[in-house]
Amino acid sequence: MLMPAPKATAAPQTSPVSTEARFRFRLTRETVLLLLMLAAIVGATVAYPRSFPSWPNLTALLRNTALDGVMACGMVVLMVSGVFDLSIGSMFSMVGVLTGWMMTEAHVPVPVAILAGLAIATLAGALNGWMVAKVKVNALIATLGTMQVFRGIAVLVGGPGIANLPPGFSRLGQTEWLGLQTPIWLMFAIAIVGQYLLSKTRFFRKYYYIGANPKAAVLSGISVERMQIFAFALMGLLAGLAGMAFAARVATATSTSGDGAELRIITAVILGGASLSGGRGTVWGTLAGVLFISLINNIMIFARLSPEWQSIIIGSVLVVAVAMDRFLGRRK
Amino acid sequence: MNPPPSSSPLLAVRGISKSFPGVRALKGVNLEVRSGEVHALLGENGAGKSTLMHILAGVYTPDEGTVLLEGKSVSFAGARDAQAAGIAMVFQERSLAGPLSVAENVFFGRQPVGRWGVINRQEMHRRTSELLAELDIQISPQIPVENLAPAEQQMVEIAKALSINARLLVLDEPTSTLTESETTTLFRVLHRLRERGAGIIYISHRMAEVFHICDRITVLRDGEYQGTFNRDEVSEEQLISRMVGREFRFRQPESTRQSTDRIPALKVEELSDGRLLKQISFEARAGEITALSGLAGSGRTELAMAIFGARPTITGRISIQGRPVALRSPREAIRAGLGYLPEDRKDAGLFLEMGLAANFGAAALERFGSWWLDDKAMERQAADAAARLRLSNSGARSVHELSGGNQQKVMLARWLLVRPPIFIVDEPTRGIDIGAKMEVHQLLRDLAHQGAAIILISSELPEVLSLADRILVMREGRLAGEIPRGEATEESILRLATLPHSTHAHARA
Repeated sequence: MLMPAPKATAAPQTSPVSTEARFRFRLTRETVLLLLMLAAIVGATVAYPRSFPSWPNLTALLRNTALDGVMACGMVVLMVSGVFDLSIGSMFSMVGVLTGWMMTEAHVPVPVAILAGLAIATLAGALNGWMVAKVKVNALIATLGTMQVFRGIAVLVGGPGIANLPPGFSRLGQTEWLGLQTPIWLMFAIAIVGQYLLSKTRFFRKYYYIGANPKAAVLSGISVERMQIFAFALMGLLAGLAGMAFAARVATATSTSGDGAELRIITAVILGGASLSGGRGTVWGTLAGVLFISLINNIMIFARLSPEWQSIIIGSVLVVAVAMDRFLGRRK
Repeated sequence: MNPPPSSSPLLAVRGISKSFPGVRALKGVNLEVRSGEVHALLGENGAGKSTLMHILAGVYTPDEGTVLLEGKSVSFAGARDAQAAGIAMVFQERSLAGPLSVAENVFFGRQPVGRWGVINRQEMHRRTSELLAELDIQISPQIPVENLAPAEQQMVEIAKALSINARLLVLDEPTSTLTESETTTLFRVLHRLRERGAGIIYISHRMAEVFHICDRITVLRDGEYQGTFNRDEVSEEQLISRMVGREFRFRQPESTRQSTDRIPALKVEELSDGRLLKQISFEARAGEITALSGLAGSGRTELAMAIFGARPTITGRISIQGRPVALRSPREAIRAGLGYLPEDRKDAGLFLEMGLAANFGAAALERFGSWWLDDKAMERQAADAAARLRLSNSGARSVHELSGGNQQKVMLARWLLVRPPIFIVDEPTRGIDIGAKMEVHQLLRDLAHQGAAIILISSELPEVLSLADRILVMREGRLAGEIPRGEATEESILRLATLPHSTHAHARA
């Protein structure tokens, strides 16, 4: 949150907007996160000068981040509007498995299977949205339910997983361009477009209004229900796309590949400046949040610390960041 | 309780100053409240009343000055201290816990306990019933407060204040959500408390009430003390001049405008919603201010929401400029030429955490781009609108930081940008100071003059009488009748609003 602005004295006809206050450096959660990342990078470079700042390590780090990054771009839109989606991990697995099943068992051509998989993901997302927006089921409960439904479908259809996906499909996830694999390019493309859309377009701006005050948004002529269904559908599409890209990269669709993604991504989005109560969040901040989690994970491996330390550090940073935020933004 | 010797008043505030970063909220303010008096504290929004009350409540510590309670200097470390000293506050913002019962709220944190620290419910309910009986309210102590009407919730707040045996009771705008009869009840309670020797600080923007109930009046302006007056030795206009810092005259109602349009801007026929609203038919014409009067709960806001597409399952016909329309959402209503200024600006109007420009542009985003948004243009136009409406503190980062009057201006600015030909304003001056109120009134007159059909919902009868060209009165979800401007008085409106099966000469079907 922002530091309190210096309050203009209550004289009538003061100058409209004080430019000074607006361009001053502000200690937001995004900037704090960037500083922390910088410190971590410098620290790791000093400690492991050979292995940490290397191209193979960078690509490995990005590869592990990429699909979380794709999903986080959908989650930040939901969180700006004041809701979230717990079903994305299951959606990730389910869409990978269903697409894999179509290609191997039903012998559907690869492009058709991909399109069908994305359509299923979008519809399943829209179902979440319909329940939240129209039936007025709380987002936590609605997506907690579909999380388990999707997980069940994934195991029912794919058993533990579907291996030997056709090479025409797996190639899509493994191709490198300029030394980086497809999923990494996918993340950058979606993040750049997403940053532009969320910060500049009229359509996506409405999500900030919805998150800030849904009632007032309705009375200002914003179709809150339709907007919410769209955001959930978009989330489904991105989670499905990520699940499919993962299946292609490892040439196997595992029924549990996405488990736990939902909380990891919600954590990243909050680290990146969003709030559970809505109205705040940016795509670049979200991406920084996702990268931060991967970075900590990466450094833990170099430090030969057990993965549990990653949980402890990420969890502490999350709580401290949000607590500090409240302290900085405290109002009279 | 006997009044203490006159040498030491119940409460004496001497030379209190308080600064916040960038603002001096109070500069050497004095206030003296005697036992057994109702003392009005007047001032525009931002004059320092609420800062002063927060000091009395122990929320803020003053930078300078002293607070004497019965001659003894006190300084409170927190709200609990102030309560223990017998100071009780009823703020505008409700501090009730919705799902808990009335009794739980009244004795919040002080529930009577038996052995083992278990709450003695019977005792708690009994004592709550006594307090409620004293206030002459029929509410069960056991129902959750969220099921109560706003007015009843207010009474629960007062019961809560009484339960700590307050010697000094502070009421901030207590009547803004009360109906006339509830206000009468409140005043009766205040009289009783006064007789028992309590001191009451009464903050209100409603002059009639101040003159009715208060013994003395202290005025603040811009954090400075403007003097204390006996009720009988001061006029309303003198007080207003003190508050706004300039000479002030009440506007006389203008002569009736007569709309020449034959087709009404808005025509509503037999509108019902299956719940509260029953068979409502009326017209609003361009260039006129049509008031919808009636008691709280009579269905005025519900009617506005129904017309605006924000209330489902309505039956009946609505036509705009003679063309029938079916408005299924506020979005469609706005496109059809309607605007609605909601009653509760914090709950349904403002995006509190967002800035001035964002709030300003909310209902007309398409003006600032069809695909990408021109934020610079939005900020520029918002700044222009802020200057035109004389909005102070327009450099605030979020509208959260603005006073009530300025927040109201932000909402009006939003609709001025849209310029709806039919504009429904719901309690447009609730809780704002007299200067801002006059400005809002002038703005509504100007809009009507320029050809808008204004529908004014207001609980303040003087406001209705001074603004409206025609007055429609609602009662229990029905239209009880229409009173033409020339014949409307507070009494005639109230009679129509309260009496069932009125035989009023001007009531129409």
